[in-house]
Amino acid sequence: MIEVRELSKRYGAVRAVDGLSFTVEPGYVAGFLGPNGAGKSTTMRAVLGLDAPTSGEALVNGGRYADIRRPMCEVGALLDANAVHGGRSAVNHLRCLARSNGIGDKRVVEVLEQVGLAGAARRRVAAMSLGMKQRLGVAAALLGDPGVLLFDEPVNGLDPEGIRWIRDLMRGLAAEGRTVLVSSHLMSEMAVTADRVVVIGRGRLILETSMRELTERFRRDVLVRTPDPAGLRRALERGGAVVVPDEDALLVQGLEAADIADAAARSGIAVHELTPRSASLEDAYLELTEDSVEFRTEEVAR
Amino acid sequence: MIDVVASEWLKVRTVRSTYYLLLTAVLALAFGGVVSYLMTADYDQSPPELRAAFASADPSVFVMPFTQFAAGVIGALAITSEYTGGMIRTVLVTVPRRVTLLVAKIAVVGGSALALGGVVSFLSYGVGVVIIGDRPAPLAQFATFGDALPSVLANGLSIAVVALVGLGFGMLLRSTAGALTTLCFLMFVVPMVAVFLPAPWNNRLVSVTLLYLTPQFSGSIERAPLTPGWALAVLLAYPVVALVAGAVALVRRDA
Repeated sequence: MIEVRELSKRYGAVRAVDGLSFTVEPGYVAGFLGPNGAGKSTTMRAVLGLDAPTSGEALVNGGRYADIRRPMCEVGALLDANAVHGGRSAVNHLRCLARSNGIGDKRVVEVLEQVGLAGAARRRVAAMSLGMKQRLGVAAALLGDPGVLLFDEPVNGLDPEGIRWIRDLMRGLAAEGRTVLVSSHLMSEMAVTADRVVVIGRGRLILETSMRELTERFRRDVLVRTPDPAGLRRALERGGAVVVPDEDALLVQGLEAADIADAAARSGIAVHELTPRSASLEDAYLELTEDSVEFRTEEVAR
Repeated sequence: MIDVVASEWLKVRTVRSTYYLLLTAVLALAFGGVVSYLMTADYDQSPPELRAAFASADPSVFVMPFTQFAAGVIGALAITSEYTGGMIRTVLVTVPRRVTLLVAKIAVVGGSALALGGVVSFLSYGVGVVIIGDRPAPLAQFATFGDALPSVLANGLSIAVVALVGLGFGMLLRSTAGALTTLCFLMFVVPMVAVFLPAPWNNRLVSVTLLYLTPQFSGSIERAPLTPGWALAVLLAYPVVALVAGAVALVRRDA
């Protein structure tokens, strides 16, 4: 379990995280979403005790990360796949990390096989592709068989096969009852991976909800085509719907598709098309974070 | 704690730079032997009045500064190689207690540098004995092994001192180039510049530089400005100051 309470982190004048609170429970994949610079990595670093919060706290399993005796056995983290010493071989890199937490070499071999790097164990880390380094970082996170996992942008640099692998891995880890927090700036990725999402922008919480509710919330309207738009419009507006004509169709809000069909049948009006339309999650995400984008492409004044 | 020390020891053994720097020590030994041999050959061909003006042909004069600097590089790299590229964050996630990490690094760097220093210092003395043979002073600095022992041990200690200074600078400056430049400045530039100061400040400043503290501590310089006790105190103050400054930086700053 991860608890972030009123967390704030300032770097000079910049508020990277500003009064952020959320909780991640075991058993599901929590997506941590926000545009670049929203404070996702800073929050994760605060959870892991790398950055000291300006105020507030970030707790893992009810305590401070720095107080855990063998942290690798409770929390696994992949922050930056490039944060490795390039001169060591993959297996030696993992052995160095494992030994600091009293984890044996046998487990190192196991995780290398689990992430599909058994064949590259002797290869120098500097000679690895970003995708292989991501796998190595995942291996390091799994070394202590921890109950809490944090992944910061794990799909970066992975090929489609690798993306599917890490998605299945995270879902598998959550299904085993672990706490899994995955950050991303890609809604499309989270849509297929996460069960719940925490959306932040400019260091503040925008939304914490389940993926299903997010989809539901941004369901927009029903597109209706009929040979008698004016008649149907009157019928629907009597039922309390808001109807907007759109070329040869009507866009209806406030009534479900079934209610529209029933209303049309009662009025004896034929309906040629009836399509519930939801905003894509990508649109929803952009709408949510619109006001909080740190770096946007400004239109150049002429 | 023991686990973290074991991890740090494994880290030192699994990077190439450590072996290159050990090779440097071997090359320094070979170079010192060659210089010692050339001086001895020159001595043999010189008339007696010139022989009296010879300096000591002890290879340690050349071997120790090179080995000290190599040890300083090992010490600095023990931490700066982790700052370069961000490995330090991975390390601090696995060992969040920073003081524990620091103590483990001190134990590994200090311990291995002390062992290295002892071996190199004894080898250097041995090479000198083989080359100089039974030729008298001033070519041979020490008449017997007993006379030489304090100097040999002090030289061994100086390797560990410089390695720990390198580690402290590395923690403080977080960059290999920064740490090594500072170390190089302190070891080699300050004594050169100090010579140009007006007396008595030139001798005073030179006497507290790293390279000249060791012979003062072992009592092998006549009319040394510092007593052996003071020389040891100043010698140990170097790593203590560097490591305390480095520790404060490591504990206080965000990684």
